[in-house]
Amino acid sequence: MPDNWGFVAAAYAVTAGILAGYWRMLVRKERALTGLRSGTEAATGAGVRNDDTSRSRQPSRPGHPRPEPGKRTSLP
Amino acid sequence: MTTVLGWLAGVGVVAGLVMGFGVAPREVTQGNVQRIMYVHVPAVWVAYLAFAVGLTASIAYLARRRPGTDRLAHAACEVGTVFLGINIATGAIWGKPTWGTWWTWDARLTSVAVVFVMFLAYLLLRGAIEDHERGARYAAVLGIVAALNIPLVHFSVYWWRTLHQPPSLLKPGASTMPPVILTALLVNFAALTLLGAYFVARRARVLAAEEEALA
Amino acid sequence: MIERRSKETLNALLFFSLALLLVFQFALGPDRERLASVLPGLLWLGFILSGVLGLGRAFLVERENDCWEALLLAPGDKSAIYLGKLVSSLALMALVEALMLGLFVVFFNVELGPALPGLALVIGLGTVGIAAVGTLFAAMTAQVRARELLFPVLLLPVLVPVLLGTVKATEALLLQEPLAAVAHWLKLLVAADVVYLAVGLLTFDVILEG
Repeated sequence: MPDNWGFVAAAYAVTAGILAGYWRMLVRKERALTGLRSGTEAATGAGVRNDDTSRSRQPSRPGHPRPEPGKRTSLP
Repeated sequence: MTTVLGWLAGVGVVAGLVMGFGVAPREVTQGNVQRIMYVHVPAVWVAYLAFAVGLTASIAYLARRRPGTDRLAHAACEVGTVFLGINIATGAIWGKPTWGTWWTWDARLTSVAVVFVMFLAYLLLRGAIEDHERGARYAAVLGIVAALNIPLVHFSVYWWRTLHQPPSLLKPGASTMPPVILTALLVNFAALTLLGAYFVARRARVLAAEEEALA
Repeated sequence: MIERRSKETLNALLFFSLALLLVFQFALGPDRERLASVLPGLLWLGFILSGVLGLGRAFLVERENDCWEALLLAPGDKSAIYLGKLVSSLALMALVEALMLGLFVVFFNVELGPALPGLALVIGLGTVGIAAVGTLFAAMTAQVRARELLFPVLLLPVLVPVLLGTVKATEALLLQEPLAAVAHWLKLLVAADVVYLAVGLLTFDVILEG
């Protein structure tokens, strides 16, 4: 039977791709959360409301706890 | 702890690749395409291990209501789904040259597909409920139903159609696999388990940070 | 009010059965033999789809009339509520299934005869399974925004074993095979029912905590 190394490569590449994608998702969420924390510190320091840039870095998928938009007040 | 796991996983993956490509011989009947098995088979074992952890954590959460346990359940079920996805994808890529088709509705593929969809629904539920505490409770119940359903899915699908090779690892009596292939599978299983554990730990950490940020 | 809702639901489901029958006929064409071979699957497709519709409304009354909190605050064992909803859902589904079976017999010329008692057993076991999980998931999705979408998405994958077991058993019974030939399917259905009922009874008050 022919060796089909192309398929072997494809399988391992797909695996690496899926794992890398998941890893990137985790890193992106971590970065958004640390960004949010430092953004809060800067905001309270400057007395500015939560600006759009920090909110846009929120994870777009519904994360674990997710307050309803109406209930959103300034972060502690 | 997470970083240590990460590095161990890295070592494990390297060991697994060495075993899979260096040590393990060219398979007699299938040729080298069989090497896909070294990621395909351990992936499903890791997935089911993850779902078992998810089941235990879900039950524990309903009993004790510790938020850390809920994060563990969530992370475990999510990582399990990812590894099941890897299993399905690599299985299809293996199936094309060996069976001539990307997909077939045989027992194993079908039952894995059903379990995959069940846990996708779990992740969907997690995303759909805004109240954190309610989401944790509901997801725990669904996690328990889904995990307990896995053997039912397996038997029903297996009886419904049996074309797949009989699982050689769980056959009573001596395993029909040459020992070096078995070893390679087990090394890759250990590697992927470490990798899975690393991802679970990291995902749980992100969940904790999310909770803290939106508290 | 509850009666009105149930009658509404029953009427709708009866018409749904009829509509489904027509759709099956048109989708699968006039080929008699092909239709005959897929009949068990179609029958259970009809049962499950009407079950999903009916169960999705199981907590409609409470939702529409803001009685949800009343459910949450009800004293005593919440599993009694689960059983109550389960039994009423079973009654509704039994009615719809009986009608659908009747329509199938008439329109697709099905010979029931000696298969009927066995068939009744299989339908009973399958329906209990569908209703047991369905009632639990209905309560779970009652307060969720996308409930019409989420409920079937949660329910259908979980019901695969029940679907397989019932369809295969029905198929065998309609081919006049003895009940003993489908014993393993019956055992699977019983096992599924036990698991679903146990989880439902044990976790229903968790769902109704809030």
